[in-house]
Amino acid sequence: MDELRTQVQEVFREVFADPEIRLHDQMTADDIDGWDSLMHINLIVALEKHFGIRMATAEIARLKEDGQNIGTLLQLVAGKLPRA
Amino acid sequence: MAAHASVLLMALEDFLSAPEAQRPDARARLLAALRAALADGCWEEAALTLRRALVPTLDYTTAQSLYRVYRQLRPQLPDPGVPLKLALLSNVTSDPLAQFLELFLFANGVAVELYRSDYGLLRQEILDPDSGLYAFRPRILFLATTWRDLSEAPPVSADAATVQARVEAEVAGWAQLWRLAHERLGCQVVQNNFDAPPWRALANHETRHPAGFGRFVAAVNASLADAAPPYVTLHDLDHLASTAGRWAWHEARFFYHAKLPCAPECLVDYAHSAASVIAAHLGLARKCLVLDLDNTLWGGVIGDDGLGGIRLGQGEAEAEAFVAFQHYVKALRQRGVLLAVCSKNEEATARAVFEQHPAMVLRLDDIACFVANWQDKATNLRQIARQLNIGLNSLVFVDDNPAERALVRQLAPEVAVPELPADPSGYIRALECHRFFQTTSLAGEDLRRTEFYRANAAREQAEASATNVAEFLQSLRMVARVEPVHEATLERTAQLIARSNQFNLTTRRYSAAEVLAMARSPHWITRTISLTDRFGDNGLISVLLACIEGDTLRLDTWLMSCRVLKRGVEELLLNHIQALARARGLRRIVGEYIPTAKNAMVREHYARLGFCLIETNGAGHAWWELAVTPDWTPRTTYIREVHGDG
Repeated sequence: MDELRTQVQEVFREVFADPEIRLHDQMTADDIDGWDSLMHINLIVALEKHFGIRMATAEIARLKEDGQNIGTLLQLVAGKLPRA
Repeated sequence: MAAHASVLLMALEDFLSAPEAQRPDARARLLAALRAALADGCWEEAALTLRRALVPTLDYTTAQSLYRVYRQLRPQLPDPGVPLKLALLSNVTSDPLAQFLELFLFANGVAVELYRSDYGLLRQEILDPDSGLYAFRPRILFLATTWRDLSEAPPVSADAATVQARVEAEVAGWAQLWRLAHERLGCQVVQNNFDAPPWRALANHETRHPAGFGRFVAAVNASLADAAPPYVTLHDLDHLASTAGRWAWHEARFFYHAKLPCAPECLVDYAHSAASVIAAHLGLARKCLVLDLDNTLWGGVIGDDGLGGIRLGQGEAEAEAFVAFQHYVKALRQRGVLLAVCSKNEEATARAVFEQHPAMVLRLDDIACFVANWQDKATNLRQIARQLNIGLNSLVFVDDNPAERALVRQLAPEVAVPELPADPSGYIRALECHRFFQTTSLAGEDLRRTEFYRANAAREQAEASATNVAEFLQSLRMVARVEPVHEATLERTAQLIARSNQFNLTTRRYSAAEVLAMARSPHWITRTISLTDRFGDNGLISVLLACIEGDTLRLDTWLMSCRVLKRGVEELLLNHIQALARARGLRRIVGEYIPTAKNAMVREHYARLGFCLIETNGAGHAWWELAVTPDWTPRTTYIREVHGDG
């Protein structure tokens, strides 16, 4: 999970153009500057490209809903990766 | 500074040439190099690198990152490019499209000032004379429509006549918007055609049934193309959807989420395409394709393998790929792209292939300029640009050898140098995807351009044999047709206005729409000159736009194609203007000169024609005056003038 977190963090840093971003499980969209609906699309596109995965329409929406955070995002990504 | 330049150059080379697996690393290095250059204030170096990194095959995330570099860079650049006021109207989310458009226009040397409507207000912005669109006054209005903007699709039960009426109603609706925008703004309109979706209720029968939706979309697209006046350019969105693959293009998750017009990854190529069309309107398309020979036009090395040894022709797979590439290049030549050869070879050996090899598609008379020697290619490219009288930034250089490409990128950065795959079957795509030779219209001149340049070579020989200039000019038996701009000459006139840089006194770029308005205005005098001589037809080669202001005729625009320099066309036009001003009772003619990086050759144009300098400003913008008098002696020319239909 740590390796995954590092990779996701890299994607966040690139998308939000902020090399200082450090991801914690409890973080939500409100904790990251500029995470509006268009940046959300940019983030999803970048994650899909980086990991070679595909988010379902409902999953894309769910990521910004209440109760969701970086922890649940990592779980979602992890669940889509081919098992090692 | 120098350190940044070399790091940027290496990072750019890696970025452009990295194989798929190494692309993420190469991308990260390029971005790091760009950011380091920005941090140290090396704006020009960063801008040069950024421009060349902006290829249409960028992925969405990289394009976003490069866009942020651009935003940081742009305010720092002393010369961000040709200014352009562009309005983008659409009924969907246009933010990423607008960003990428700005980015690719920057790559084309255009500094955009952008206006965007709020989501969903495309029609209202045009219909409401008090909308922000009209306050903004764009020079180009881009209607970024999609198939969802179609409003007249027929029910599947409709008969052929009903469908036809629906098609006409659909087209009339758009034509009405074009007309309104044009009447109120005089701007050029660029509109997408409609991107037919891949799903079909009627399956294979979709294109045969009169009311099939796919058939309706195709009919509307064809009718739009027929109905579009010169001030409207149709951007072929449907073609983009088909080259991307329609299921990929219409991947709708991000339409449901954010109302993006197509899949995010497809937006990059969409913006590249639209930017290339807009840049072509500004005269920024490339003009000449310069070709290497060995392993570019044929397989093998002619100097080593000989005529019988090179691979070109039917029967062997790779040899066929080279033939196909030549056919592609030939088609570009036939529609007006100039071809040149730049090869490291003995000239006679290289020419022999064109003259003697039975499978050659390209012949020597397709090539406007043939350079084969052992000099470095950057030097040769400069030579080619000089001989053809075009800028280095009009050239595209195609070479299979990565080292030659890198050298030219480094030593002649104005030349576009696309990456080529090792496999010649990929050459066409590698070149085509860049849209270097985008064109907004095709005039008769385009189809005959190589002839013009070759006839010029023949004239140069005649000039060498004549003992003096007057005798030479007489021997040409020139006839000039001088006439106002009319429907048949409008497109070519607009094209010359967009493209002429050197013999262009003011470099004011007017759209076809604006020229048409002038031709109809009582305050403007428009003239074009078409020239023929004993070597052939030079086509429409000069444009004058003059404005009557009180007792003055102000020469707003005077430009001429460089292929008819020193033939007496300027003097002929001066005689024409004098006579015309006199007939209208005007007292004086005022000519303007606005210096640019490219028009130094006409700095003394008005002095040569006997005008007096009356004013200059700090920027070198000069006003020259010539009195209109009955005793004025016409200049001697060796050109017979005919008018209108005579």
